[in-house]
Amino acid sequence: MQICVFEDKGFELLYPLTYMRPTFELKCGHTLLYEKIVRAFPGMKFQYIVRDWLEARWKEKFGADKVNNLAAIQSDDTLFINGRLLYMGLKLEANGSEEVGMAGEDVVYARIKKSEIGKYGHNVFDLVAALKNLPKKDISCTMIKYPWNLVQKNPDAIRDDFAQINKPGVIEGDFHPQACIVGDKKNVYIAKGAKIHPFVCLDVTDGPIIIDEDVIAYPFTRIEGPNAVGKKTQLFGTNLRTGSAIGPVCRVGGEVEDSIMHAYSNKYHDGFLGHAYLCEWVNLGAMTTNSDLKNDYSNVCLYVNGELFDTCDGKVGCFIGDHTKTSIGTLLNTGTIVGMMSNVVGNGGVAPKYIPSFSWMINDKYFKAQKGMETAKYAMGRRKCTMTVEEEKLINYVKAMTKEEVKAYVKKTTVV
Amino acid sequence: MDIKAVEEKLKGVIVKQLKVAPEKVVASAEFVKDLGADSFASIELVAAFEVAFDIEMEEDAALKVKTVGDAVKFIHSLVASK
Repeated sequence: MQICVFEDKGFELLYPLTYMRPTFELKCGHTLLYEKIVRAFPGMKFQYIVRDWLEARWKEKFGADKVNNLAAIQSDDTLFINGRLLYMGLKLEANGSEEVGMAGEDVVYARIKKSEIGKYGHNVFDLVAALKNLPKKDISCTMIKYPWNLVQKNPDAIRDDFAQINKPGVIEGDFHPQACIVGDKKNVYIAKGAKIHPFVCLDVTDGPIIIDEDVIAYPFTRIEGPNAVGKKTQLFGTNLRTGSAIGPVCRVGGEVEDSIMHAYSNKYHDGFLGHAYLCEWVNLGAMTTNSDLKNDYSNVCLYVNGELFDTCDGKVGCFIGDHTKTSIGTLLNTGTIVGMMSNVVGNGGVAPKYIPSFSWMINDKYFKAQKGMETAKYAMGRRKCTMTVEEEKLINYVKAMTKEEVKAYVKKTTVV
Repeated sequence: MDIKAVEEKLKGVIVKQLKVAPEKVVASAEFVKDLGADSFASIELVAAFEVAFDIEMEEDAALKVKTVGDAVKFIHSLVASK
């Protein structure tokens, strides 16, 4: 018996977050979506199916034998699990009769016997498309369909992660006697190597706090649970409000509320980040601030694949792709999407609600991004990381894919 | 489009983008030194050239263009190869 976590076509509605990663590598709570599935099936063999243009990069990351390997999938009975599933509050049985679990139009899981897998397609993509043909069972669960779903579910996912870690009240790191916990100490877990400086306040009145290994919380940091701070993250007097999942390896200051930050992203300075999602290697300049609530309290709309969507939610911030940077004083409107490897320069006004990948937004004008790859490599080098060959190829692939869109936006604001 | 037509159109774009007098836009004029194109103005100028001529200027090649005369030759080659 084995588990196969797969991507379906839903990755397209999750751009720009999914340009550089499969859907199951999105973060919700302290862990990534696939990590929650791996955790639920200890000791089980895993396979992964990703879209074709992510294959080389993910073979490099997970191992060539683990990704899009039809022969390996056909070698055993398999439970397929959709990578957009938020595996929380449900229990799927690895063993059982052949069936497909559906949530509306989405395949949530499918169980297929080894002997039958060959019938469902000659490659992994046909196989995923054919899963719907199994005997159906409707199930209730949370599927991540749009970027804002990750932020909406983040507080509950942190609570679940805290429960799964199962170390209530355990303090393995260094907790300074002049730091304090407000509320029940059992709602805190501080991992080894973490350093909590004096005048740091952990308020667990409304939910738990996870402080992972080697985190440093400098003086005057205030963290409200539910909150999860990833490994090696540094907090510089941060007002870390409820419902945020940060890191690993982030540097965060200012005010952050209900936000998700992937690894190596920085928001070092003052400024507000709320109901937002930052991919890897994002850097927000000093005083960058996003709105997450409209002054008339109406639902926030934002652009998904060129179409304006009503999120049916009044609290929605910004969503920023990998390697994007903002300048000092950048103001982002409620429900703003900024693609990957872009550069937003604040000019005192509010930036437009959509900024494509590989573009620069300066003085309300769009431009093609310049020197993006060199900048990304330099930024990674500063943190002792190296861009891999496949990562560079993937970035260039997305750049080519989004080229016409950038061109159209540049044309909109260039007067000749 | 012949090189003369490229030159005329290009000069018009430069005058409008950099807000300089037309008589200053001569073949030997350097964008930075003589026409005052700072880094941001250079980015705007490249975008304007691309839109005006419906071409794509590779970043490294565009950076090598220092004078109006260089730009005329460079853009003419791109227009001709379309």
